Amino acid sequence: MSLLLDVQSVTGGYGAVTVLRGISIHMDVGENIGLFGPNGHGKSTLLRSISGLLRPTSGRHKFDGKDITRKRPSDIVGAGLVHAQQGNTLFGEMTVREILELSAFTYRAQKGAAQALDHVLTLFPRLAERSRQKAKTLSGGERQMLSIGSALMCSPRLLMLDEPTLGLSPKLKEELSVALKDISRNVPLIIVEQDVELLLSVTDRLYLIEHGEVQREINKDNAPDHAEIMDMYFGAHDK
Amino acid sequence: MKRNLFLVLSLAVLLLVPLFVLDSFTRHLFILAFIYAIIASNWDISLGYCGVFNFGHMTFFATGVYTTAVMAKTFGINPWLAIPMGGATAALVALIISAPVARLKGIYVVLVTFAFSQLALQLILSQSQITGGAEGMVRIPSLSIGDYKFTRDYKLGYYYAALGLLTCSTIFLLWLSQSPFGKSLQAVRDNEDYARARGISITRQRVLALVLSAVFTGIAGGFFAVYLRVASPEVLSFSTLSLALSMVLIGGAGTVIGPIIAAFVLIFATEAMAGIRGMEEMRFIIVAVGMIFVLRFTPGGLVKLVSGKRT
Amino acid sequence: MSAIIISTLMSGILLGALYALMASGLSLIWTTLGVFNFAHGALMMIGAFVAWTVSEAMGLGIVAGLIAGLGVTAILGIVIEFLLIRPFYSKPNVLLITTMTTLAAMIILEKSAQMIWGARLKQLPRMIEGDVSVLGAVISAQEALIIVLAPLVLIALWQFTSRTTVGRSLRAVGQNQDAAALIGINVPMTFALAFGLGAALAGLSGILLGSIRFITPGLGAEPLVKAMIVVIFGGLGSLGATAGAAFVIGMTEAFLILVVGLYWTPFLLFVFLIAVLVFRPTGLFGKV
Repeated sequence: MSLLLDVQSVTGGYGAVTVLRGISIHMDVGENIGLFGPNGHGKSTLLRSISGLLRPTSGRHKFDGKDITRKRPSDIVGAGLVHAQQGNTLFGEMTVREILELSAFTYRAQKGAAQALDHVLTLFPRLAERSRQKAKTLSGGERQMLSIGSALMCSPRLLMLDEPTLGLSPKLKEELSVALKDISRNVPLIIVEQDVELLLSVTDRLYLIEHGEVQREINKDNAPDHAEIMDMYFGAHDK
Repeated sequence: MKRNLFLVLSLAVLLLVPLFVLDSFTRHLFILAFIYAIIASNWDISLGYCGVFNFGHMTFFATGVYTTAVMAKTFGINPWLAIPMGGATAALVALIISAPVARLKGIYVVLVTFAFSQLALQLILSQSQITGGAEGMVRIPSLSIGDYKFTRDYKLGYYYAALGLLTCSTIFLLWLSQSPFGKSLQAVRDNEDYARARGISITRQRVLALVLSAVFTGIAGGFFAVYLRVASPEVLSFSTLSLALSMVLIGGAGTVIGPIIAAFVLIFATEAMAGIRGMEEMRFIIVAVGMIFVLRFTPGGLVKLVSGKRT
Repeated sequence: MSAIIISTLMSGILLGALYALMASGLSLIWTTLGVFNFAHGALMMIGAFVAWTVSEAMGLGIVAGLIAGLGVTAILGIVIEFLLIRPFYSKPNVLLITTMTTLAAMIILEKSAQMIWGARLKQLPRMIEGDVSVLGAVISAQEALIIVLAPLVLIALWQFTSRTTVGRSLRAVGQNQDAAALIGINVPMTFALAFGLGAALAGLSGILLGSIRFITPGLGAEPLVKAMIVVIFGGLGSLGATAGAAFVIGMTEAFLILVVGLYWTPFLLFVFLIAVLVFRPTGLFGKV
């Protein structure tokens, strides 16, 4: 089976602080995966190292067979690997419409831009309502939608979402997870989330990441129940 | 400590230099080096120790130059008194400048301190009845003790007076850097939020840093005017600014002796180059390139490179 | 209305137009890279000298001079970005460092100009000859050209940044570098583009200035200070605020000259500026 994404023993961090300790994950063609685990243990850092914002000190990233470890973020996006960061900051002074239009920036993305825009605005009607508003005036949930919408405009062959439901009300979370399921039908997803149940409903396989390494791999066969999930987060366990 | 030993030895050597260096021109270079050393090392208080992007330091120097020049020539005050007056006025100017500057952040500090230096320049150029305008002032009274004129014996008196001034300034700076105040300045520079949380008043620190950096700079300015017997708006030119700034950077911001050594090196180097035909403008280009190199490859300045330690 | 007032008004509009053009390049570089280009005035001066060399010394005419001036300054801008800004992107005090490297660049450009062109005054030929009469005041046609051209260039710049993809990418990079990279924008190339464009704007202002004033290696010093004043006054955040501030400063200067005379004006302008900053530390309109 061919691998869409192959992360091989990646080590890296910020200055003197090592966050990723030889972590390895992989993603097959045709599946969606989720990453979960305590805060500050490397999930976001891993995504940043895959998308090129952070350079690993050792290890490799392979996207669809090609080594992307030392490539520029813009080239990685050009290849179709898109990363929607945590915190949805984007471009506060630009309007929703400007941001969505600009997000079809790469050569690949320009080709289907008009349809992609239609699709995004249908998926997130609220963005259509606010299309002439500046991004900084949007609510938290709307900014999250904009972040995902912008990522979709990049014509992704693999989409990495970092905590898409962070800070959202239960109702918005529900709305967003419906949208995510819809997206997952057409675009392979890697989702970082605290909400393990959401991950289980949208993705096929989960990695528990702790201390910059994979602690556990979970799929439909050995899916944990609620008590086990709590235990994973708060209990002590040996490797 | 190694550094203090180095300084004492250097002082001893410098005291003996006039025995070997007998001509007027070389002694003149030493005197210039002493003066620029004072300017550069005192600039370090605001720029290096306190981390204030102060681009108006030369304003203090110019204040000293013109205050002393006007007091000594126009009002006939004894140069020995006029020089310290230069220092006092410079400190006053620093106090005035620090009022708006202390609360500003980032690029605005650069722009405003620079704007003040331009303001001073405009004032000097426009009030030509007092300051001589673009041509400057000449025939400023020189230093003497009784009958002994300092220009005698190929500027011997001026040499030791300048050296004395540099020594006092350096002792002051060394004391300052080791003092609780000096340490608090570095605290403000390194971590402003933490310093504020510890109760240090950022505004007061900045005001004090600017004022203290102005004192000896202003005195040096007054001395400069009396020594050269000329006061000119050149002291506020971009060329002078970049020369002094490169001494601070190349020597090492945040060290006391770095700028002093750099002052010597650069003064002798630029003067040596000035002698070669066609190098008139080139030497400034070389200094500017040197500044870029230091920033790129040894941002701590050459002193840190040699000593290999953080200040 | 009295002839003197109209003439002062025209003077103010001319100054405002020039200052707005001068400051626009600085503002573009600031909003995209977060860097203050101290070499901005020097770039103006180089633009003027190159245009003079091509149009006068080589006799190729003013259009060739214009193209050459813009081309050389744009290239210089890209070189400055590559050598003096790019190596320092990741440093914590990048602002202070790049202030100093661009100051060094200014010295290098100025002294090189002294060596290449010497200190003798030069002047660019006018693009239009003759005088124009506006509401009773007489200004030269060249000055009228500047008054018309500056807003046109600014509007073009505004349209560029708000409507075109490349222009929008400049804004995006200025607002959030990482997010820009993540939608496929090549950030280092965008920086180079912004600097080149900002430098070309400086070159253009220099060429226009050189057609109504004498060209010397020190041509850039006063405009740099004026551009600084405009930028402090209007804040660095937006092109609109910068243009607005430029006109206010231009008008103020023109009327100050009328009221207190040429000698006191620069000094008072600075006092005015510093007073504004005491009450509004982030400039009159803007935020940093």
